[in-house]
Amino acid sequence: MIHIKSSDTALRVGMVGAGGIANAHLPAWHHIGADVTVFSLNGAPELVARHGGTVAGSLQELLDRVDVVDVCTPTYTHPEIVLAAAAAGRHVLCEKPFALDGATAASMVEACVGARVQLYPGHVVRYFPEYAAMQRAVAVGAIGTPAVLTFHRTGARPQAAWFADPALSGGIVMDQMIHDLDFARWLGGEVESVYARIADSAPGTATGVVTAHVIARHRSGVISNCTGTWARPGSRFRYGFQVAGSDGMLVHDSAADPTLRSDTGASGTGGLLPDVTLVESPFVTEIRELAAAFTGGPAPRVAAADGVAAVRIAEAAAASLSSGAPVAVDRIEVPA
Amino acid sequence: MSSLPLRIGVMSMAHTHAAGYIGLLRDRPDVELAVADPDATDRPAGESGGRSLAEQLGVTRYYDSYEELLGWSPDGVVVCSENSRHRALTERAAAAGAHVLCEKPMATTVADGEAMVATCAAAGVHLMIAYPVRFSRQFRALESMLPALGPIVAVTGTNNGKLPSARAWFADAELAGGGAVMDHTVHIADLLDLMLDGAEAESVHAVTNRMLKEGVSVETGGLVSLRYPGDVIATIDCSWSVPEHYPTWGGLTMRVIGEGGIVDVDVFGQAVHGFQESAGGPLRLGYGPGGDEAMLEEFLSAIRDGRRPQPDGESGLRSLRVAMRAYESART
Repeated sequence: MIHIKSSDTALRVGMVGAGGIANAHLPAWHHIGADVTVFSLNGAPELVARHGGTVAGSLQELLDRVDVVDVCTPTYTHPEIVLAAAAAGRHVLCEKPFALDGATAASMVEACVGARVQLYPGHVVRYFPEYAAMQRAVAVGAIGTPAVLTFHRTGARPQAAWFADPALSGGIVMDQMIHDLDFARWLGGEVESVYARIADSAPGTATGVVTAHVIARHRSGVISNCTGTWARPGSRFRYGFQVAGSDGMLVHDSAADPTLRSDTGASGTGGLLPDVTLVESPFVTEIRELAAAFTGGPAPRVAAADGVAAVRIAEAAAASLSSGAPVAVDRIEVPA
Repeated sequence: MSSLPLRIGVMSMAHTHAAGYIGLLRDRPDVELAVADPDATDRPAGESGGRSLAEQLGVTRYYDSYEELLGWSPDGVVVCSENSRHRALTERAAAAGAHVLCEKPMATTVADGEAMVATCAAAGVHLMIAYPVRFSRQFRALESMLPALGPIVAVTGTNNGKLPSARAWFADAELAGGGAVMDHTVHIADLLDLMLDGAEAESVHAVTNRMLKEGVSVETGGLVSLRYPGDVIATIDCSWSVPEHYPTWGGLTMRVIGEGGIVDVDVFGQAVHGFQESAGGPLRLGYGPGGDEAMLEEFLSAIRDGRRPQPDGESGLRSLRVAMRAYESART
């Protein structure tokens, strides 16, 4: 495994892409003192004007300059960029989902293992403090054996054109619900089978309200339910969970956070990313932990195999949507 | 139309809701109340019932048998027996010419439910099923928002509760017809029935487990996924997932996602919260009235006005079918 040796020089990070998630990651990298270079086909100068950093003229120029690559591009471009980073011997943080199908995701992991570089999926919900607190409590038995898990997530429908094309984004299950599918698997263990439904108020357009429901059976006997919604423009980002076990339950709803309330008479402000101003940015928590791993620190709470597993669950959900029947999720076999 | 009080009989106090209905009926000046609970002797040791419970609840007219209760010629009865015994009591009441308000779920098989509908129709008596949530202020407010919400896209509902430990039959597959799925799918199925104008689900998929609560032979966890005509999807969490010492029995929530927005209701969520030092636990003072009072008013006024009360037996049959199809799916 390649470790970055320098301790007195800043971690050199190459961010590829300058869209929504880049605007969350870039300040987080700066927060932990990284030196960030950005390459993007669109919007790199504007991104660094907002958040700092320097712009590279090509992907090769970026790869030549950095220790770590942060892939923030649209999903369908992830595999190519991750493979290029691995070939250049660079560690990788890749936004979720790794890829649009499990086989491709697994091949990305294989390439990184072969190149002896670390690869992590941007499963940032594992770093949200309410979810992290819940997971730690469940892990030490606070609710006994987990039994029934439910997760929900709602945000305004993304407007970038590629999100609307399932061939490019994978649709709401692969793109948005994957956070909760990952979390359900973290708590409940490997998923045996999934059953999925989707409803779209304006099928074939990019403007409808879309909701997906996925019910999973886990090998442990746990049952879980994830619901994801892309809501109308201006809808508040909202998420939460209810996890019940043999000795108790834990519940959270972001809409019920009592620590700050205001009413200015204006309607709620929508967004593609949650408002995290009342906690340390989970993106900072995530990136700090991954940066430590990249520089020889302990293994983080998320592994490359988790990124593949989540894609496979979402892939099975997509197959269930097509077939109208439950779909078995293949046992996850990825290189360690 | 007379201004005489209506005679209402409560048949059995096996269901825990009987006490609530009795309290409300007892206090109405337009109702004369009688109770019969002869099956109390069959109940496990320690479970309340019979004349002593009726007296505790302030009931002044108690009958030792259903025969005597029906001999009193009630205008209507409220059937609060174990689920699998609803049919027999409903048929006896119908034969005596009494209108029936039957606890939910109306039966433990679709065949029993269909027989109840047919018997009551033939006898010319109303059959109403006790779904109080649709009468709550919270659900009524949600209903009033539906036009502004536009076409419904998706609904998620939770009806979670404790293991109903005051009455062992709730976890008896024979008497209850099942566990959490039978007990808690039907309330939200009834609300969907109302919101979607009685449309039957096109597809039902369910998963269940028994990992919550120890020593229970019926399912305690359940998730039911539904698709209705018009591509409306819904998921119901019917699990008995509320811990035994939780400060309230459970609750019912619903999130409706429409083209025009999102509405959340928490029907039993109204409460004052606190903490009691000596008990070392939270204080929770629920103050929501629920829908029982308005539901009873619907039953009584329908008798007076000679109109069919809602939800009627056919409606109860549709929500029962959702639960039965969930069992069928979970088995396969």
